[in-house]
Amino acid sequence: MAQPETALDIFALREIFNRERIMLCFNGPITATLIEEIGAALRKHMEGLQESPSAVSDVFSVYIEMTQNIRRYTQNRPDLARETASVFVSRNEEGRYVVSAGNVVETGDGEALVGRVAQLAQLDKDGLKAAFKTQLRQPRDELAGSAGLGLIDMARKAAAPLECSLRPLGDQRAFFSLRVVL
Amino acid sequence: MDNLDIPQTSASPAIFADGTAGTVTMKGDSYPENSFELFQPLIDWVTAFLKAGQRPLKLELELLYLNTSSIRALMDILDLMEDAHRKGLQVAARWAYEAANERVGQLAEEFKEDCTFPFDIVPKA
Repeated sequence: MAQPETALDIFALREIFNRERIMLCFNGPITATLIEEIGAALRKHMEGLQESPSAVSDVFSVYIEMTQNIRRYTQNRPDLARETASVFVSRNEEGRYVVSAGNVVETGDGEALVGRVAQLAQLDKDGLKAAFKTQLRQPRDELAGSAGLGLIDMARKAAAPLECSLRPLGDQRAFFSLRVVL
Repeated sequence: MDNLDIPQTSASPAIFADGTAGTVTMKGDSYPENSFELFQPLIDWVTAFLKAGQRPLKLELELLYLNTSSIRALMDILDLMEDAHRKGLQVAARWAYEAANERVGQLAEEFKEDCTFPFDIVPKA
């Protein structure tokens, strides 16, 4: 039976996922429960692949920091609360794990993040460790509920500098995406 | 001093602070969204126990994975213990972990770097 052309072609979508070696993905409004459940599934899946405890821990950790960052961001901006987030765990050509995520941000926030990612890319392992320890002791009242450590921690675990992009959406909004290769 | 008992959940550790024994134990994963809220009662408890300054305090950890806001909260607790140690109080920490889980050992070592009180890191076979 012929399908209407507008129907969602799940097979084609699946082909894209397979081609990009995406093992796990989520697209929609993200909640604390979802983050936990998907995280638990991710860990189990990697353990099933006989990955080392360190590899499982690193991928899980980057996944948690990324998704919790998005959650905290949307919680602080009620006008963005209904926006969805996209999260992917995949493998690159070399078989390395890649954790990527994207969400809608205010353009100014996105630009600040791009700057921060570029700053971190300048640092070597020791520089990142020093930055982590400095941030760890920032006074609590200057933190606004977040430890401010997530990006630095991801950069420390990553095999290459973090990559990000900012795509303007108009109306002072942009889509920020972050990619971490482990 | 009263005990503090916070039950374990899938994303937060079992926390037990024993006012009589002078021990604080934490076991399990710690990656709640609201780490600061979760750990505040423990930070308050440790602050009060050390302020009373009558008995030694021992921190017994069997933590596994920690998100960065949990790392911050644990650092705050260790900093309180470090201050107490510098004032002459007896404090100590012990972190036991499965040897295969290297990342836990590395994290524990990094915490230990900033502590001058006795801090044992114990890999288990």
